[in-house]
Amino acid sequence: MQNTIICVSWGDKYDRSYVKKLKEQCEENCSVPFNFYCLTDRPKLGTKHDINLPNYWDKYYLEDKGFFWAYRKCYMFALTHDDAETKEKRYHWWLQHFHNRTHDETSMRFNRAWKLDLEEKLFHRLGRIKGDKFLFLDLDVIIHHDLKYFFDLPMDKPYIVRGWWNDSDTCKKNYAKLKSTPLNSSVIRWDRGQLYEVWREIYANPELTFFTYPSIDNYFNHRWYNIWDEEKSFFRGFPQGDIYSWYKGNIFPHDMSKKTKRLDHKICLFNNSTQIEGENDDEMKEHWQE
Amino acid sequence: MIEHIEYTSKVANDWKQAIADVSKDYSYLFKRVLDCSTSSQLQSKLWLVNELLNIYTVKDGLRTELQKHDISLKETLIGPLWPKNIALLGGWYANFSTELLITNIKAEFVHNCEFDEDAKIISYKFNKRYKDSGQYKCDIKDVMWQKFTEMVGERIVYDLIINTSCEHMFPMTRFYSLNKFENFPLYVLQSTNDREWDDHINCVSSPDELIEQAKITEVLYSGEQELDNGMKRFMVIGYPDKEGYRNDEITDSRLV
Repeated sequence: MQNTIICVSWGDKYDRSYVKKLKEQCEENCSVPFNFYCLTDRPKLGTKHDINLPNYWDKYYLEDKGFFWAYRKCYMFALTHDDAETKEKRYHWWLQHFHNRTHDETSMRFNRAWKLDLEEKLFHRLGRIKGDKFLFLDLDVIIHHDLKYFFDLPMDKPYIVRGWWNDSDTCKKNYAKLKSTPLNSSVIRWDRGQLYEVWREIYANPELTFFTYPSIDNYFNHRWYNIWDEEKSFFRGFPQGDIYSWYKGNIFPHDMSKKTKRLDHKICLFNNSTQIEGENDDEMKEHWQE
Repeated sequence: MIEHIEYTSKVANDWKQAIADVSKDYSYLFKRVLDCSTSSQLQSKLWLVNELLNIYTVKDGLRTELQKHDISLKETLIGPLWPKNIALLGGWYANFSTELLITNIKAEFVHNCEFDEDAKIISYKFNKRYKDSGQYKCDIKDVMWQKFTEMVGERIVYDLIINTSCEHMFPMTRFYSLNKFENFPLYVLQSTNDREWDDHINCVSSPDELIEQAKITEVLYSGEQELDNGMKRFMVIGYPDKEGYRNDEITDSRLV
Protein backbone atom coordinates (compact mmCIF):
# COMPACT_ATOMS: atom_id res chain seq x y z
CA MET A 1 0.00 0.00 0.00
CA GLN A 2 1.63 3.21 -1.18
CA ASN A 3 1.15 6.51 0.63
CA THR A 4 0.58 9.62 -1.41
CA ILE A 5 0.48 13.29 -0.44
CA ILE A 6 -1.26 15.67 -2.84
CA CYS A 7 -1.56 19.43 -2.96
CA VAL A 8 -3.29 21.66 -5.48
CA SER A 9 -1.93 24.95 -6.79
CA TRP A 10 -3.65 27.26 -9.23
CA GLY A 11 -3.79 30.93 -10.05
CA ASP A 12 -1.35 33.37 -8.59
CA LYS A 13 -2.27 33.27 -4.90
CA TYR A 14 0.67 31.05 -4.01
CA ASP A 15 3.91 30.86 -5.94
CA ARG A 16 6.00 27.72 -6.35
CA SER A 17 7.87 28.35 -3.12
CA TYR A 18 4.76 27.23 -1.22
CA VAL A 19 4.71 23.87 -2.96
CA LYS A 20 8.44 23.48 -2.39
CA LYS A 21 8.04 24.35 1.28
CA LEU A 22 5.13 21.97 1.75
CA LYS A 23 7.14 19.16 0.17
CA GLU A 24 10.07 19.94 2.48
CA GLN A 25 7.78 19.91 5.49
CA CYS A 26 6.40 16.53 4.45
CA GLU A 27 9.88 15.12 3.99
CA GLU A 28 10.88 16.35 7.43
CA ASN A 29 7.71 15.12 9.11
CA CYS A 30 6.82 11.79 7.57
CA SER A 31 8.55 8.64 8.76
CA VAL A 32 6.99 6.39 6.12
CA PRO A 33 7.72 6.46 2.37
CA PHE A 34 5.34 8.57 0.30
CA ASN A 35 4.75 9.90 -3.20
CA PHE A 36 4.27 13.64 -3.57
CA TYR A 37 2.21 15.30 -6.29
CA CYS A 38 1.02 18.79 -7.01
CA LEU A 39 -2.00 19.29 -9.26
CA THR A 40 -1.25 22.60 -10.90
CA ASP A 41 -2.28 24.80 -13.79
CA ARG A 42 1.40 25.74 -14.22
CA PRO A 43 3.28 22.45 -14.37
CA LYS A 44 6.99 22.88 -14.67
CA LEU A 45 8.47 20.90 -17.51
CA GLY A 46 10.48 17.96 -16.27
CA THR A 47 9.16 18.14 -12.70
CA LYS A 48 8.19 14.67 -11.57
CA HIS A 49 5.59 15.74 -9.04
CA ASP A 50 3.68 18.29 -11.14
CA ILE A 51 0.43 17.02 -12.60
CA ASN A 52 -1.51 19.10 -15.10
CA LEU A 53 -4.66 20.30 -13.38
CA PRO A 54 -7.81 19.31 -15.29
CA ASN A 55 -10.10 22.16 -16.32
CA TYR A 56 -13.38 20.59 -17.39
CA TRP A 57 -15.29 22.32 -14.59
CA ASP A 58 -14.02 25.82 -15.43
CA LYS A 59 -17.07 26.51 -17.60
CA TYR A 60 -19.43 26.03 -14.65
CA TYR A 61 -17.72 28.56 -12.42
CA LEU A 62 -19.78 31.75 -12.25
CA GLU A 63 -17.30 34.59 -11.96
CA ASP A 64 -19.80 37.14 -10.63
CA LYS A 65 -21.06 34.73 -7.98
CA GLY A 66 -17.71 33.31 -6.99
CA PHE A 67 -19.34 30.20 -5.53
CA PHE A 68 -17.57 26.88 -5.12
CA TRP A 69 -14.36 28.58 -6.15
CA ALA A 70 -12.01 25.95 -4.74
CA TYR A 71 -13.58 23.34 -7.02
CA ARG A 72 -10.17 22.44 -8.43
CA LYS A 73 -9.52 20.45 -5.27
CA CYS A 74 -12.34 18.14 -6.27
CA TYR A 75 -10.61 16.86 -9.41
CA MET A 76 -8.42 14.63 -7.27
CA PHE A 77 -11.47 12.83 -5.89
CA ALA A 78 -11.74 11.13 -9.26
CA LEU A 79 -8.79 8.95 -8.28
CA THR A 80 -10.25 5.49 -8.35
CA HIS A 81 -9.49 1.92 -9.25
CA ASP A 82 -8.99 0.77 -12.78
CA ASP A 83 -9.83 -2.90 -12.54
CA ALA A 84 -12.28 -4.40 -15.03
CA GLU A 85 -15.17 -4.68 -12.56
CA THR A 86 -14.94 -1.05 -11.38
CA LYS A 87 -14.61 0.10 -14.95
CA GLU A 88 -17.72 -1.76 -15.99
CA LYS A 89 -19.72 -0.41 -13.05
CA ARG A 90 -18.60 3.07 -14.02
CA TYR A 91 -19.70 2.50 -17.60
CA HIS A 92 -23.17 1.38 -16.51
CA TRP A 93 -23.59 4.41 -14.27
CA TRP A 94 -22.51 6.75 -17.05
CA LEU A 95 -24.88 5.13 -19.54
CA GLN A 96 -27.84 5.26 -17.17
CA HIS A 97 -27.13 8.73 -15.97
CA PHE A 98 -26.27 10.60 -19.09
CA HIS A 99 -28.19 8.60 -21.70
CA ASN A 100 -30.88 6.90 -19.64
CA ARG A 101 -29.94 3.61 -21.21
CA THR A 102 -29.15 0.17 -19.94
CA HIS A 103 -26.31 -1.98 -21.14
CA ASP A 104 -28.51 -4.16 -23.36
CA GLU A 105 -29.37 -1.20 -25.49
CA THR A 106 -25.86 -0.03 -25.95
CA SER A 107 -23.86 0.10 -29.07
CA MET A 108 -20.23 0.69 -29.87
CA ARG A 109 -21.13 4.33 -30.31
CA PHE A 110 -21.85 4.65 -26.60
CA ASN A 111 -18.81 2.67 -25.69
CA ARG A 112 -16.63 5.05 -27.61
CA ALA A 113 -18.37 8.14 -26.20
CA TRP A 114 -17.89 6.81 -22.69
CA LYS A 115 -14.18 6.36 -23.21
CA LEU A 116 -13.87 9.83 -24.64
CA ASP A 117 -15.86 11.38 -21.82
CA LEU A 118 -15.59 9.70 -18.44
CA GLU A 119 -12.49 7.56 -18.80
CA GLU A 120 -10.59 10.35 -20.47
CA LYS A 121 -11.42 12.73 -17.65
CA LEU A 122 -10.56 10.20 -15.01
CA PHE A 123 -7.27 8.99 -16.33
CA HIS A 124 -5.84 11.30 -18.91
CA ARG A 125 -4.14 13.61 -16.45
CA LEU A 126 -4.52 11.83 -13.14
CA GLY A 127 -3.35 8.46 -14.41
CA ARG A 128 0.20 9.23 -13.37
CA ILE A 129 -0.77 9.56 -9.72
CA LYS A 130 0.23 6.45 -7.85
CA GLY A 131 -0.78 5.34 -4.41
CA ASP A 132 -3.55 3.82 -2.34
CA LYS A 133 -3.65 5.99 0.78
CA PHE A 134 -4.09 9.67 0.04
CA LEU A 135 -3.51 12.73 2.15
CA PHE A 136 -4.41 16.13 0.75
CA LEU A 137 -2.80 19.19 2.29
CA ASP A 138 -3.48 22.84 1.55
CA LEU A 139 -0.41 24.93 0.79
CA ASP A 140 -0.96 27.12 3.85
CA VAL A 141 -0.42 24.58 6.61
CA ILE A 142 2.34 24.04 9.10
CA ILE A 143 3.09 20.43 10.00
CA HIS A 144 4.12 19.78 13.60
CA HIS A 145 4.14 15.99 13.78
CA ASP A 146 4.80 12.76 11.91
CA LEU A 147 2.29 12.38 9.08
CA LYS A 148 2.48 8.60 9.48
CA TYR A 149 -0.37 9.08 11.96
CA PHE A 150 -2.72 10.01 9.11
CA PHE A 151 -1.73 7.04 6.96
CA ASP A 152 -2.35 4.68 9.90
CA LEU A 153 -5.92 5.87 10.59
CA PRO A 154 -8.71 3.28 10.34
CA MET A 155 -10.42 4.07 7.04
CA ASP A 156 -14.00 2.91 7.31
CA LYS A 157 -14.78 6.50 6.29
CA PRO A 158 -12.72 9.28 4.70
CA TYR A 159 -11.63 12.15 6.94
CA ILE A 160 -11.97 15.90 6.67
CA VAL A 161 -11.15 18.69 9.13
CA ARG A 162 -13.95 19.22 11.60
CA GLY A 163 -13.34 22.76 12.77
CA TRP A 164 -13.72 22.16 16.48
CA TRP A 165 -13.22 25.89 17.00
CA ASN A 166 -16.73 26.46 15.61
CA ASP A 167 -19.70 26.71 17.92
CA SER A 168 -21.95 23.79 16.90
CA ASP A 169 -25.08 25.73 17.77
CA THR A 170 -24.06 28.53 15.42
CA CYS A 171 -23.35 25.99 12.68
CA LYS A 172 -26.79 24.43 13.11
CA LYS A 173 -28.51 27.80 13.32
CA ASN A 174 -26.89 28.95 10.09
CA TYR A 175 -27.12 25.67 8.23
CA ALA A 176 -30.01 26.79 6.03
CA LYS A 177 -28.33 30.13 5.45
CA LEU A 178 -25.37 28.34 3.86
CA LYS A 179 -23.08 29.90 6.45
CA SER A 180 -20.93 28.81 9.43
CA THR A 181 -19.79 25.52 8.02
CA PRO A 182 -18.11 23.30 10.61
CA LEU A 183 -15.86 21.67 7.99
CA ASN A 184 -12.59 22.72 6.50
CA SER A 185 -11.11 20.97 3.48
CA SER A 186 -7.50 21.99 4.15
CA VAL A 187 -6.65 18.41 5.12
CA ILE A 188 -8.43 15.37 3.69
CA ARG A 189 -7.49 11.74 4.09
CA TRP A 190 -8.98 9.01 1.91
CA ASP A 191 -8.16 5.69 0.34
CA ARG A 192 -8.20 5.28 -3.42
CA GLY A 193 -11.76 5.18 -4.71
CA GLN A 194 -13.27 6.38 -1.43
CA LEU A 195 -14.11 9.86 -2.72
CA TYR A 196 -15.09 8.81 -6.21
CA GLU A 197 -18.75 9.10 -5.21
CA VAL A 198 -18.22 12.77 -4.34
CA TRP A 199 -16.51 13.42 -7.67
CA ARG A 200 -19.29 11.59 -9.49
CA GLU A 201 -21.97 13.70 -7.84
CA ILE A 202 -20.26 16.95 -8.84
CA TYR A 203 -19.56 15.59 -12.31
CA ALA A 204 -23.20 14.66 -12.75
CA ASN A 205 -24.59 17.89 -11.26
CA PRO A 206 -22.15 20.72 -11.96
CA GLU A 207 -24.72 23.46 -12.57
CA LEU A 208 -26.56 22.83 -9.34
CA THR A 209 -23.35 22.52 -7.34
CA PHE A 210 -21.70 25.67 -8.65
CA PHE A 211 -24.92 27.65 -8.35
CA THR A 212 -25.85 26.66 -4.82
CA TYR A 213 -22.84 26.34 -2.56
CA PRO A 214 -20.72 29.36 -1.64
CA SER A 215 -17.73 27.14 -0.87
CA ILE A 216 -16.69 23.53 -1.24
CA ASP A 217 -16.64 23.25 2.56
CA ASN A 218 -20.26 24.30 2.55
CA TYR A 219 -21.01 21.75 -0.16
CA PHE A 220 -19.38 19.01 1.91
CA ASN A 221 -21.35 20.12 4.95
CA HIS A 222 -24.66 19.90 3.09
CA ARG A 223 -24.09 16.83 1.00
CA TRP A 224 -21.57 14.66 2.82
CA TYR A 225 -21.73 15.53 6.49
CA ASN A 226 -24.34 15.66 9.20
CA ILE A 227 -23.68 18.24 11.88
CA TRP A 228 -26.51 16.76 13.96
CA ASP A 229 -25.03 13.27 13.97
CA GLU A 230 -21.56 12.60 12.62
CA GLU A 231 -22.18 8.86 12.70
CA LYS A 232 -24.61 9.35 9.81
CA SER A 233 -22.01 11.29 7.84
CA PHE A 234 -20.07 10.17 4.82
CA PHE A 235 -17.01 11.99 6.15
CA ARG A 236 -15.54 11.62 9.59
CA GLY A 237 -13.96 14.65 11.21
CA PHE A 238 -10.36 14.36 12.38
CA PRO A 239 -10.53 14.02 16.16
CA GLN A 240 -10.01 16.92 18.52
CA GLY A 241 -6.33 17.49 19.18
CA ASP A 242 -5.18 16.73 15.62
CA ILE A 243 -5.65 19.97 13.72
CA TYR A 244 -6.20 23.57 14.85
CA SER A 245 -6.56 26.98 13.28
CA TRP A 246 -4.00 29.73 13.73
CA TYR A 247 -6.58 32.46 13.25
CA LYS A 248 -9.63 30.88 14.89
CA GLY A 249 -8.41 28.74 17.76
CA ASN A 250 -8.73 25.09 18.65
CA ILE A 251 -11.76 23.84 20.54
CA PHE A 252 -14.88 25.85 21.28
CA PRO A 253 -15.42 27.25 23.87
CA HIS A 254 -12.52 26.50 26.21
CA ASP A 255 -9.43 26.59 23.98
CA MET A 256 -9.96 29.44 21.60
CA SER A 257 -6.81 31.49 21.88
CA LYS A 258 -5.74 32.68 18.47
CA LYS A 259 -2.25 32.84 16.99
CA THR A 260 -1.05 30.29 19.52
CA LYS A 261 1.25 27.49 18.55
CA ARG A 262 0.05 24.05 19.74
CA LEU A 263 2.97 21.74 19.20
CA ASP A 264 1.15 18.74 20.60
CA HIS A 265 -1.18 18.91 17.58
CA LYS A 266 -0.31 17.48 14.18
CA ILE A 267 -1.17 20.32 11.81
CA CYS A 268 -1.88 24.05 12.05
CA LEU A 269 -4.14 25.66 9.42
CA PHE A 270 -3.54 29.20 8.28
CA ASN A 271 -6.53 29.71 6.03
CA ASN A 272 -9.13 32.10 7.27
CA SER A 273 -12.43 32.84 5.63
CA THR A 274 -12.55 36.30 7.20
CA GLN A 275 -9.24 37.53 5.85
CA ILE A 276 -8.45 38.81 2.40
CA GLU A 277 -6.68 36.08 0.52
CA GLY A 278 -2.94 36.22 0.90
CA GLU A 279 -3.19 39.00 3.45
CA ASN A 280 -1.48 37.19 6.30
CA ASP A 281 0.81 34.91 4.37
CA ASP A 282 3.89 36.57 5.82
CA GLU A 283 2.79 35.40 9.22
CA MET A 284 2.84 31.81 8.02
CA LYS A 285 6.17 32.28 6.32
CA GLU A 286 7.65 33.25 9.70
CA HIS A 287 6.85 29.71 10.83
CA TRP A 288 8.74 28.32 7.85
CA GLN A 289 11.91 29.83 9.27
CA GLU A 290 11.61 27.99 12.58
CA MET B 1 -60.52 37.72 1.99
CA ILE B 2 -58.47 36.12 4.73
CA GLU B 3 -56.73 38.69 6.88
CA HIS B 4 -55.77 36.71 9.94
CA ILE B 5 -55.00 33.34 11.43
CA GLU B 6 -57.68 31.98 13.71
CA TYR B 7 -56.00 31.89 17.09
CA THR B 8 -57.93 28.95 18.46
CA SER B 9 -57.15 27.29 21.77
CA LYS B 10 -55.39 24.47 19.91
CA VAL B 11 -53.22 26.89 17.98
CA ALA B 12 -52.46 28.80 21.17
CA ASN B 13 -51.52 25.62 22.97
CA ASP B 14 -49.07 24.43 20.32
CA TRP B 15 -47.49 27.79 19.69
CA LYS B 16 -47.06 28.60 23.35
CA GLN B 17 -45.43 25.22 23.92
CA ALA B 18 -43.22 25.61 20.85
CA ILE B 19 -41.89 28.92 22.10
CA ALA B 20 -41.38 27.56 25.61
CA ASP B 21 -39.47 24.52 24.28
CA VAL B 22 -37.30 26.61 21.99
CA SER B 23 -36.44 28.98 24.85
CA LYS B 24 -35.49 26.04 27.04
CA ASP B 25 -33.85 23.52 24.71
CA TYR B 26 -33.00 25.37 21.51
CA SER B 27 -32.13 28.83 22.68
CA TYR B 28 -29.75 29.27 19.71
CA LEU B 29 -32.84 29.15 17.48
CA PHE B 30 -34.88 31.72 19.33
CA LYS B 31 -33.99 34.50 16.92
CA ARG B 32 -34.93 32.23 14.01
CA VAL B 33 -38.31 31.57 15.60
CA LEU B 34 -38.87 35.31 15.88
CA ASP B 35 -37.84 35.68 12.23
CA CYS B 36 -40.44 33.17 11.13
CA SER B 37 -43.15 34.95 13.10
CA THR B 38 -42.93 38.45 11.63
CA SER B 39 -45.77 40.40 10.09
CA SER B 40 -44.01 40.09 6.71
CA GLN B 41 -44.01 36.32 6.99
CA LEU B 42 -47.72 36.42 7.73
CA GLN B 43 -48.39 38.88 4.91
CA SER B 44 -46.74 36.70 2.31
CA LYS B 45 -48.61 33.58 3.47
CA LEU B 46 -51.96 35.40 3.60
CA TRP B 47 -51.33 36.70 0.10
CA LEU B 48 -50.67 33.15 -1.05
CA VAL B 49 -53.80 31.75 0.55
CA ASN B 50 -56.02 34.53 -0.76
CA GLU B 51 -54.82 34.10 -4.32
CA LEU B 52 -55.32 30.36 -4.05
CA LEU B 53 -58.84 30.97 -2.81
CA ASN B 54 -59.46 33.21 -5.83
CA ILE B 55 -58.28 30.48 -8.15
CA TYR B 56 -60.05 27.56 -6.53
CA THR B 57 -63.29 29.34 -5.64
CA VAL B 58 -63.90 30.87 -9.05
CA LYS B 59 -63.17 27.64 -10.84
CA ASP B 60 -65.25 25.74 -8.34
CA GLY B 61 -68.20 28.00 -9.07
CA LEU B 62 -67.71 27.56 -12.78
CA ARG B 63 -67.57 23.82 -12.33
CA THR B 64 -70.87 23.84 -10.42
CA GLU B 65 -72.50 25.95 -13.10
CA LEU B 66 -71.32 23.65 -15.83
CA GLN B 67 -72.55 20.62 -13.94
CA LYS B 68 -75.94 22.28 -13.46
CA HIS B 69 -76.26 22.55 -17.20
CA ASP B 70 -74.87 19.11 -17.67
CA ILE B 71 -71.94 20.45 -19.61
CA SER B 72 -68.83 18.40 -19.12
CA LEU B 73 -65.55 19.99 -19.89
CA LYS B 74 -62.06 18.76 -19.33
CA GLU B 75 -60.78 19.74 -15.93
CA THR B 76 -57.90 21.60 -17.49
CA LEU B 77 -60.35 24.04 -19.01
CA ILE B 78 -62.14 24.84 -15.80
CA GLY B 79 -59.19 24.88 -13.48
CA PRO B 80 -57.86 22.71 -10.70
CA LEU B 81 -59.87 20.83 -8.11
CA TRP B 82 -59.38 21.85 -4.51
CA PRO B 83 -56.08 20.40 -3.36
CA LYS B 84 -56.02 17.54 -0.89
CA ASN B 85 -52.31 17.02 -0.59
CA ILE B 86 -49.93 19.94 -0.50
CA ALA B 87 -46.15 19.86 -0.53
CA LEU B 88 -44.11 22.69 0.95
CA LEU B 89 -40.60 22.94 -0.45
CA GLY B 90 -38.26 24.31 2.18
CA GLY B 91 -41.24 25.27 4.32
CA TRP B 92 -39.05 26.11 7.34
CA TYR B 93 -41.11 25.92 10.58
CA ALA B 94 -44.38 26.01 8.57
CA ASN B 95 -46.14 27.69 11.48
CA PHE B 96 -48.28 30.10 9.46
CA SER B 97 -48.58 28.17 6.21
CA THR B 98 -49.82 24.87 7.66
CA GLU B 99 -52.50 26.55 9.73
CA LEU B 100 -53.68 28.74 6.85
CA LEU B 101 -53.73 25.94 4.30
CA ILE B 102 -55.58 23.46 6.46
CA THR B 103 -58.09 25.99 7.78
CA ASN B 104 -58.79 27.93 4.61
CA ILE B 105 -57.87 25.73 1.67
CA LYS B 106 -59.15 22.66 3.53
CA ALA B 107 -56.02 20.71 2.74
CA GLU B 108 -56.11 17.15 4.06
CA PHE B 109 -52.37 16.79 4.24
CA VAL B 110 -49.43 19.19 4.29
CA HIS B 111 -46.00 17.70 3.64
CA ASN B 112 -43.08 19.95 4.45
CA CYS B 113 -39.69 19.01 3.00
CA GLU B 114 -36.77 20.68 4.74
CA PHE B 115 -33.04 20.02 4.78
CA ASP B 116 -32.57 21.54 8.22
CA GLU B 117 -33.02 18.92 10.93
CA ASP B 118 -33.80 21.53 13.57
CA ALA B 119 -36.56 22.93 11.35
CA LYS B 120 -38.26 19.55 11.40
CA ILE B 121 -38.23 19.44 15.20
CA ILE B 122 -39.48 23.00 15.60
CA SER B 123 -42.12 22.64 12.90
CA TYR B 124 -43.53 19.63 14.72
CA LYS B 125 -43.84 21.72 17.85
CA PHE B 126 -45.73 24.51 16.07
CA ASN B 127 -47.95 22.02 14.25
CA LYS B 128 -48.34 19.35 16.91
CA ARG B 129 -52.12 19.24 16.54
CA TYR B 130 -51.80 18.42 12.84
CA LYS B 131 -48.87 16.07 13.31
CA ASP B 132 -50.96 14.11 15.82
CA SER B 133 -53.95 13.99 13.47
CA GLY B 134 -51.76 12.87 10.55
CA GLN B 135 -52.37 16.07 8.60
CA TYR B 136 -48.83 17.41 8.84
CA LYS B 137 -45.53 15.73 8.19
CA CYS B 138 -42.02 17.05 7.83
CA ASP B 139 -39.28 15.08 6.09
CA ILE B 140 -35.61 15.83 5.90
CA LYS B 141 -35.10 16.21 2.20
CA ASP B 142 -33.11 18.52 0.01
CA VAL B 143 -35.67 18.99 -2.74
CA MET B 144 -33.08 19.91 -5.35
CA TRP B 145 -31.24 16.63 -4.85
CA GLN B 146 -33.77 14.06 -3.69
CA LYS B 147 -36.86 12.83 -5.43
CA PHE B 148 -40.29 12.85 -3.88
CA THR B 149 -42.05 9.56 -3.41
CA GLU B 150 -45.25 9.91 -5.33
CA MET B 151 -47.36 6.99 -4.30
CA VAL B 152 -50.44 5.51 -5.98
CA GLY B 153 -53.31 3.82 -4.15
CA GLU B 154 -52.53 4.46 -0.55
CA ARG B 155 -50.07 7.00 -1.59
CA ILE B 156 -49.62 10.73 -1.65
CA VAL B 157 -50.44 12.41 -4.90
CA TYR B 158 -49.55 16.05 -4.69
CA ASP B 159 -52.17 18.47 -5.99
CA LEU B 160 -50.35 21.62 -5.04
CA ILE B 161 -46.67 22.36 -4.59
CA ILE B 162 -45.66 25.51 -2.76
CA ASN B 163 -42.19 26.99 -2.76
CA THR B 164 -42.04 30.34 -0.97
CA SER B 165 -38.23 30.14 -0.85
CA CYS B 166 -37.28 30.22 -4.52
CA GLU B 167 -34.61 32.83 -3.82
CA HIS B 168 -32.85 30.28 -1.62
CA MET B 169 -32.50 27.56 -4.19
CA PHE B 170 -31.67 26.51 -7.72
CA PRO B 171 -34.36 27.24 -10.36
CA MET B 172 -37.43 25.01 -10.19
CA THR B 173 -36.66 23.31 -13.51
CA ARG B 174 -34.36 21.07 -11.54
CA PHE B 175 -37.23 20.03 -9.29
CA TYR B 176 -39.42 19.17 -12.29
CA SER B 177 -36.70 17.08 -13.82
CA LEU B 178 -36.32 15.12 -10.60
CA ASN B 179 -40.05 14.66 -10.07
CA LYS B 180 -42.16 13.87 -13.07
CA PHE B 181 -45.47 13.89 -11.25
CA GLU B 182 -48.14 12.02 -13.13
CA ASN B 183 -51.00 14.28 -12.04
CA PHE B 184 -49.31 17.60 -12.94
CA PRO B 185 -49.75 19.55 -9.71
CA LEU B 186 -50.29 23.28 -9.53
CA TYR B 187 -47.27 25.31 -8.39
CA VAL B 188 -47.13 28.38 -6.18
CA LEU B 189 -43.76 30.12 -6.27
CA GLN B 190 -42.54 33.13 -4.34
CA SER B 191 -39.25 34.96 -4.73
CA THR B 192 -37.72 38.40 -4.29
CA ASN B 193 -35.30 40.89 -5.80
CA ASP B 194 -33.65 41.48 -2.41
CA ARG B 195 -30.02 40.57 -2.98
CA GLU B 196 -28.85 41.88 0.41
CA TRP B 197 -28.66 38.44 1.97
CA ASP B 198 -25.93 35.88 1.34
CA ASP B 199 -28.41 33.03 1.27
CA HIS B 200 -30.51 34.69 -1.42
CA ILE B 201 -28.69 32.84 -4.15
CA ASN B 202 -31.41 33.05 -6.79
CA CYS B 203 -33.15 36.42 -6.80
CA VAL B 204 -35.29 37.59 -9.71
CA SER B 205 -36.25 41.10 -10.77
CA SER B 206 -39.92 40.59 -11.52
CA PRO B 207 -42.77 38.08 -11.58
CA ASP B 208 -42.12 37.68 -15.30
CA GLU B 209 -38.56 36.65 -14.63
CA LEU B 210 -39.81 34.11 -12.11
CA ILE B 211 -42.27 32.78 -14.71
CA GLU B 212 -39.50 32.54 -17.27
CA GLN B 213 -37.01 30.96 -14.89
CA ALA B 214 -39.49 28.40 -13.55
CA LYS B 215 -40.83 27.73 -17.06
CA ILE B 216 -44.42 28.34 -15.99
CA THR B 217 -46.39 28.19 -19.22
CA GLU B 218 -49.94 28.30 -17.88
CA VAL B 219 -50.05 31.27 -15.52
CA LEU B 220 -53.10 31.51 -13.24
CA TYR B 221 -51.75 34.39 -11.18
CA SER B 222 -48.70 36.59 -11.08
CA GLY B 223 -48.10 39.66 -8.98
CA GLU B 224 -45.88 41.51 -6.57
CA GLN B 225 -46.26 42.99 -3.14
CA GLU B 226 -44.12 45.09 -0.82
CA LEU B 227 -44.05 43.57 2.64
CA ASP B 228 -43.86 45.37 5.99
CA ASN B 229 -40.12 44.77 6.19
CA GLY B 230 -39.66 46.62 2.89
CA MET B 231 -38.92 43.50 0.90
CA LYS B 232 -40.53 43.22 -2.49
CA ARG B 233 -41.92 39.76 -3.11
CA PHE B 234 -43.14 38.19 -6.31
CA MET B 235 -45.63 35.37 -6.59
CA VAL B 236 -46.55 33.17 -9.50
CA ILE B 237 -49.19 30.47 -9.53
CA GLY B 238 -49.42 28.14 -12.49
CA TYR B 239 -48.38 25.03 -14.32
CA PRO B 240 -45.02 24.39 -15.88
CA ASP B 241 -44.87 23.11 -19.43
CA LYS B 242 -45.65 19.41 -19.23
CA GLU B 243 -43.25 18.49 -21.97
CA GLY B 244 -40.72 21.17 -21.38
CA TYR B 245 -39.04 19.87 -18.26
CA ARG B 246 -35.31 19.86 -18.60
CA ASN B 247 -33.79 16.47 -18.85
CA ASP B 248 -30.26 17.30 -17.89
CA GLU B 249 -28.94 16.62 -14.44
CA ILE B 250 -31.66 14.12 -13.64
CA THR B 251 -30.06 12.43 -10.76
CA ASP B 252 -29.80 11.30 -7.34
CA SER B 253 -26.42 9.84 -7.93
CA ARG B 254 -26.42 8.04 -4.64
CA LEU B 255 -29.34 6.00 -5.83
CA VAL B 256 -27.78 5.03 -9.11
